[in-house]
Amino acid sequence: MTWLIWRQHRTEICVLGLLVGMFGIALVVLGTQAHDLFPGGPARCAGEAGVNETCAASFRRLDEEYGYVENLLAVFYLVPVVIGAFLGAPLLARELEDGTWQLAWTQAVPRMRWLAAKLAALAGVTATLTGMFTAVLTWFRQPFDVWEGRFQYDAFDLEGLVPVAYALFAFGVATAAGAILRRSLPAFGVAFGAFLAARMSVALLARPAYATPLTAMEPVAVGGSKGQAGHRPGSGNASWLIEHGYADATGRRLSWTEYYELEAVANRAGTNLNQFLHARGIQQFKVYHPADRFWTFQLIEAALFVAVAAVLIAVVLWRVRRRMI
Amino acid sequence: MTATELALRTDGVGKRYRKGWALRDCTLALPAGGVIALVGPNGAGKTTLLRLVVGLLAPSTGTVQVLGHDVTASTPQTLSRIGFLAQDHPLYKRFTVAEMLRFGRACNLRFDQGLAERRLAKLGIPLDRRAGTLSGGQQAQVALALALAKRPDLLVLDEPVASLDPLARHEFLQVLMGAVAEGGVTVLFSSHVVHELERVCDHLVVLNHGRVTLTGDIDTLLAEHRLLVGPRTATDLDRAGTVVEAVHSDRHTTLLVRDGGIPAAPGWQARPVALEDLVLAYLRRPSEPSAAVTSGVAA
Repeated sequence: MTWLIWRQHRTEICVLGLLVGMFGIALVVLGTQAHDLFPGGPARCAGEAGVNETCAASFRRLDEEYGYVENLLAVFYLVPVVIGAFLGAPLLARELEDGTWQLAWTQAVPRMRWLAAKLAALAGVTATLTGMFTAVLTWFRQPFDVWEGRFQYDAFDLEGLVPVAYALFAFGVATAAGAILRRSLPAFGVAFGAFLAARMSVALLARPAYATPLTAMEPVAVGGSKGQAGHRPGSGNASWLIEHGYADATGRRLSWTEYYELEAVANRAGTNLNQFLHARGIQQFKVYHPADRFWTFQLIEAALFVAVAAVLIAVVLWRVRRRMI
Repeated sequence: MTATELALRTDGVGKRYRKGWALRDCTLALPAGGVIALVGPNGAGKTTLLRLVVGLLAPSTGTVQVLGHDVTASTPQTLSRIGFLAQDHPLYKRFTVAEMLRFGRACNLRFDQGLAERRLAKLGIPLDRRAGTLSGGQQAQVALALALAKRPDLLVLDEPVASLDPLARHEFLQVLMGAVAEGGVTVLFSSHVVHELERVCDHLVVLNHGRVTLTGDIDTLLAEHRLLVGPRTATDLDRAGTVVEAVHSDRHTTLLVRDGGIPAAPGWQARPVALEDLVLAYLRRPSEPSAAVTSGVAA
C-alpha cells in the first residue's frame, strides 16, 4: 500500500513540497536578515518598544525594511486549503472519475483497509507539510509578534496549531466532497469555498467568544495627548482589543455620538480635550483578550476545525463501509 | 449439488438505487467450472448484478454467496479468489504496465507476476509503456492479465469486449478461453451481444428489466425448447403453459415452446431453435414478477 499511495499521489506531494520548500527558503533568508536587526534576539525587546532606544530603532528598521513582507504574508492564509484540498480532493474522486475504484477494491486489500491507509497517509502529509511551513512562518514572524502581539489576524491565523487544523479541515471537506460529487475539481472548489466561509465566520464571530473578554477602565489622563502609547488602559498592545471607547463617571458607556458632542463642547470652550474629559470624570474603557490567552484560543480553534474534519472523515468511512460508492 | 460446488448463489437479491430498483428477486445457483454468460439489454441490471457478485455493491435485499462465502464480508481471502474486469477495463492511466503489475503484486495475496509478464510478452505489450497510451485492445489485455494473475477461482467480466474492435475482440476472447482451458477458473461475463455465445459459453442467465427471465445450461435449454410451425390459428395454443412466444404470419403460426420434445400435434412441424432466437424471445416477453424460468443446475 505504501508504494501504491506514493505512486498515485507523488505528483501532488512533490508539487506541494516544492512550493512549501521555496516559500520556506525565501522566508528563512528574509527572516534571518530581519532577526539580525535584533542583537540578542527579538524576544529581549518584548514590551520595550517605547522604552529602550535600541529596540525602538530595531522595530523602526523592521517596519521600514520588512513591513512589506509582513503584508504579503496574507497570501499564506490559503496555504492550508491548498495543501489539504489538493491532497484530499483526488483521494476518492479520481478513483470514481476513472472507474479505477472497481480495480482498487477488487484486489485482496479490503476497501476499509485501503481507505484507512490512504486517509492516514495523506492526512499525515497534509499535517506535516502545513506544520513545517507554519513553523518557518512562526519563526519569521517572531520580531513582528514581539511588536504587535500574536492575536491579530495576520499572526493568530498563520501561527501555532491552527494552520494544521485548517489544513485537516480542508482535507476532510475535499475528501468528503470528492466521495459525494465523484469529481476532483468540483471537490476542490467545494473545499475552497467551505474553507473561506468557515474561516471567516469563525475568525470574526466565534473566536472573540471563546472566553469572556476582560474590561479595563481608566480615567482619562490629564497630561497625555490622545492615543499615546502607554496611556491606553489595560495591558500592552499584545492583547486582542475587541472594543474600546469612553464611559462616564458612573461607568455607563458613551456612544460615539455622545463622545463627539463632548469633544465639540470642549472645542467651543477652547479647553484641552483631555483636561475637559478628566474634569468630568470621563473614563476610557477597553474590552480585550489578554495576550496570555493565545494558546488557549489556539487550542479551542484547532479543536473546532479538527472536530469538523473528523466528522467529515467519519461520513466518508461510513459511505464506503456501507458501499454507497 | 452442494453449496461448495457452486460458483455463485444468490437468494432473493435486490438492489435499489435512489431512482428505483435496478435488480429484484434475483435467485441464481451457478455451477463452478465453465463459462457463464449474463445476457440482457442495456439497463437490464447486468452491471449491478456483477458488482454485487464481486462485492463492490451491497445488496438491498437477499444474500450473495461466491464460492460458498458471503462476499459482503470482503475478507482478503474471499477477495483474492475473485477476479474482476470492470466495464471499459479501467487502469491507472499514468502507471506503466510494469507499475500496474506491481500494483497487482502489492495488493494481492497470491499474484503470479511471471504469468502476467508471459501473457503480455506473448501479446507484444511493452512493460515500460504508460497504460493510458496503449490501444483499447491492449488496455483490455493488460486488465485481463492483471485479473488472471490473481489466479482467481471466479473471474467476473463486465461487457469485456463491448468497446473493442472485431480483431481485438477476437484476440481477447482467445486469451480468455485459453485461460479457461488451462482449467480451474469459472468465468462469468456479461454481454448484450448474443451471437457467438453458443460457441463460448456453457451456462446462460438472461436478465431483463432487473429480473432474471431465464437461466440454465445452454445445451439443456436448447434441448428443452423448439419451434413449432403450423397453420395460422388464433385459438389458445398454450396447452400446458409451455408456449414462450407465438408469432403469426399471414398463413403460419410459429410457436416457441418449452415442452421437452413431446411429439408435435398433427399438421405441426418441429424445428430446433437457435440460441440467439431463444434469448430474444425471452427478452421480448413482457416483464412479470413470476416470469423467471429456471432450468435446474443439476438438469
